[in-house]
Amino acid sequence: MSLTRRRLFQRLSTPVQSAHGEWIAARGREAGMMEYGEQGMAQGAKPIRIASNENPLGPGQHVLDAIVGKFPEAHRYPFNAKQTEGALITDIAKRYSAKNENVLLGPGSGEILTHAVRAFTSPTKPLVTAWPSFENPRDTAKKIGTPVREVGFDGKLRIDIAKMVEASKGAGLVFFCNPNNPTATVHGHSAVADMVKAIRAASPDTMILIDEAYHDYVTDPSYTSAIDIALATPNVFVTRTFSKAYGMAGLRAGYAIGHAPTVKAVQAFKMPYGLSTLTLGGTIVGLADQAHIDAEQKRNTAVKAFTVKAFADMGVTGTDSQANFLFMDIKRPAAGFRDACRAAGVQVGRDFPPFEKTHCRVSIGTMEEMQKAVEVFKKVLGSTTTTSSKDRQ
Amino acid sequence: MSLSRRSFVQTVGVGTAGLWITSRGREGSLFAQGIQPVQGPAPSIILSSNENPLGTHKDVLAAIRTSAFPEAGRYPFATAAEVTALVAKKHGVKPENVLLGCGSTQLLRTCTHVFTTKTAGLVAAIPAYEECADYARLMGHPITGVKLRPSDLKMDLDALQQASKGAGLVFYCNPNNPVATAISGSDTRTYLSTLMKASPSTTVLVDEAYFEYGTMPGYETMIPLAVDNPRVVVARTFSKCFGMAGIRIGFAIGHKDTIAKMAAWDGVGDINVMALEGAKAALAVPDAWVTAEQKRNEAARSFTQKWFADRGYTPTDSQTNFMFINVKRPAREFRDACLKEGVLIGRDFPPYEKTHVRISVGSMEEMQKAVQVFEHALSQPAKAA
Repeated sequence: MSLTRRRLFQRLSTPVQSAHGEWIAARGREAGMMEYGEQGMAQGAKPIRIASNENPLGPGQHVLDAIVGKFPEAHRYPFNAKQTEGALITDIAKRYSAKNENVLLGPGSGEILTHAVRAFTSPTKPLVTAWPSFENPRDTAKKIGTPVREVGFDGKLRIDIAKMVEASKGAGLVFFCNPNNPTATVHGHSAVADMVKAIRAASPDTMILIDEAYHDYVTDPSYTSAIDIALATPNVFVTRTFSKAYGMAGLRAGYAIGHAPTVKAVQAFKMPYGLSTLTLGGTIVGLADQAHIDAEQKRNTAVKAFTVKAFADMGVTGTDSQANFLFMDIKRPAAGFRDACRAAGVQVGRDFPPFEKTHCRVSIGTMEEMQKAVEVFKKVLGSTTTTSSKDRQ
Repeated sequence: MSLSRRSFVQTVGVGTAGLWITSRGREGSLFAQGIQPVQGPAPSIILSSNENPLGTHKDVLAAIRTSAFPEAGRYPFATAAEVTALVAKKHGVKPENVLLGCGSTQLLRTCTHVFTTKTAGLVAAIPAYEECADYARLMGHPITGVKLRPSDLKMDLDALQQASKGAGLVFYCNPNNPVATAISGSDTRTYLSTLMKASPSTTVLVDEAYFEYGTMPGYETMIPLAVDNPRVVVARTFSKCFGMAGIRIGFAIGHKDTIAKMAAWDGVGDINVMALEGAKAALAVPDAWVTAEQKRNEAARSFTQKWFADRGYTPTDSQTNFMFINVKRPAREFRDACLKEGVLIGRDFPPYEKTHVRISVGSMEEMQKAVQVFEHALSQPAKAA
């Protein structure tokens, strides 16, 4: 996105209201609570929003143009549009040399994660998840009375695969977020392939869901997508989202790829026409422009390197981030750091127990935003006060 | 439809239930997978899905450009809270009384999830809009269908009252899709107050998707009642009057405890920012515009209903942007004949698929063209009745 457009957007943006209700807590814990309220923030200045792992540039102009192209069909139900969900499914299937029956859409990958937990777990078939990890599967399991087996990390805060395999015995579903949110670490393709083999040997009926929401940001050469594993192996499926590198968190689209019976089992729970006609038009065009995504990866990598170095200069290190966010060991409670940053106009990530006493998650904004944010971090981390937050979550 | 699916349906009232075919679910599942409903050239007049033929309100589209595009990369939870507050303000309630949904579809599913169980099932008129029944079926919760009154195809409130006792949820679609008839506010309140005493654990979901098109004297919203009664919830949508069917947003209004229960199961994370910003614009549209849209629909509806009635084909008393007409022949026969001339009308609605068709109200210009096609279709003698 050009600078001109960004300036235009800043002019057009309406200020965020602070009112919010309890219903946000269920699904919007992350974006809801963090992005919210500007209480405690410097007045007047536009906040730097680096709390929810969004692409700060939003979707490309080609995507927005495609959406405008769908305006004449916006009054029709999505199944009456010229490009239905089937059109996006076909494009995704082609991209991965799969069939349409291997692809499932959702209004964000969140809905798919929810329904996977409903389809494959029960009070007698537990969910296995790293913890902390993306919280949707764990939250859903708790709502439907599914026991949750939480798995920890190795010394580099990578998911402990051996423990994951051990915990999988008799489980309904293993949720493996790779790269993992919030720790930002990734496992390479061979490690994932070995894990899948080991789980299938230890617990053949267990479903394995590999969430690759941050796939497009990974630069570790040992990593490639597990979609090939999902297409070759029963009971394994991969979720992807348009919310991250594609810059479409507000448009709500994601997908899953796996064997047809797996897709069908999750699809049974799918809400009819949850993807808007406009979203479908935008994602179809967005998916076709890989160069845009490659450029976004480069941009993110450069801004991330700048931010990591700036932290290092302050004596602060973090995990090996393979995503569009950092998990930094700030050696003090996240709450105090967060409140101090917020007061200076910078919104960073929420608490991630059991790391909330030491680590903070910081999303990667634009270079300009991170240059400003780093100055705030310097002041806050240089200060000796670590007041605890009043609004701890 | 499989037999196992039908076996969930018990019938109350006269005769057998007939088929309970899914409506949006059916359309959704068939069409979503890229199976096009129509072979050959696309129809030039679409009267099949109860959409606003004039398109999306211009203020909605303008808001998407100016307010949603700059935020398209962000999770829209803050905007959802703003829209919740604006819906509350518009209807004179508090934000705690409002839950947004990805279309009212999501809210119908949420209600069915939260208020039905394997023992306390769903009760609905048959036919009625099928989202709740589809979801209850998915969950393996029992469904009871209550036949309509044969004389006017209105909901049979006595039979419904009887069937509602012990239900988890009653789906009360008013006006009722696909038959287009409505129940007056006073009759609805009598039904509700009787049920509240007779069946203390039953919740009623009043679906007012077509509210803006109701013109019958005495028709009214149940929002004021729902806000005070924890066992009544009202669902509304922006899909119809505001022409936002492709954008996906609706809302529920109810008692704060009821809304809290629903929100605890499913939140606002599926709603896109274009829908949210569009809804903000729609909420700011003056009431006079809504009245004008109601009159526009009513004029095209009256023209078409009269055209059919003059030829001996009786429509129900439509309070919506669609009509349910006895064409004295199988819907399929009439529909296929219309489609050959470029007019797409509604699908089969058992148990009336042998006699009745559902036709959405297009623009006056479209309806003037469509009746010429209907003329041709009806000039053929019915092959099977």
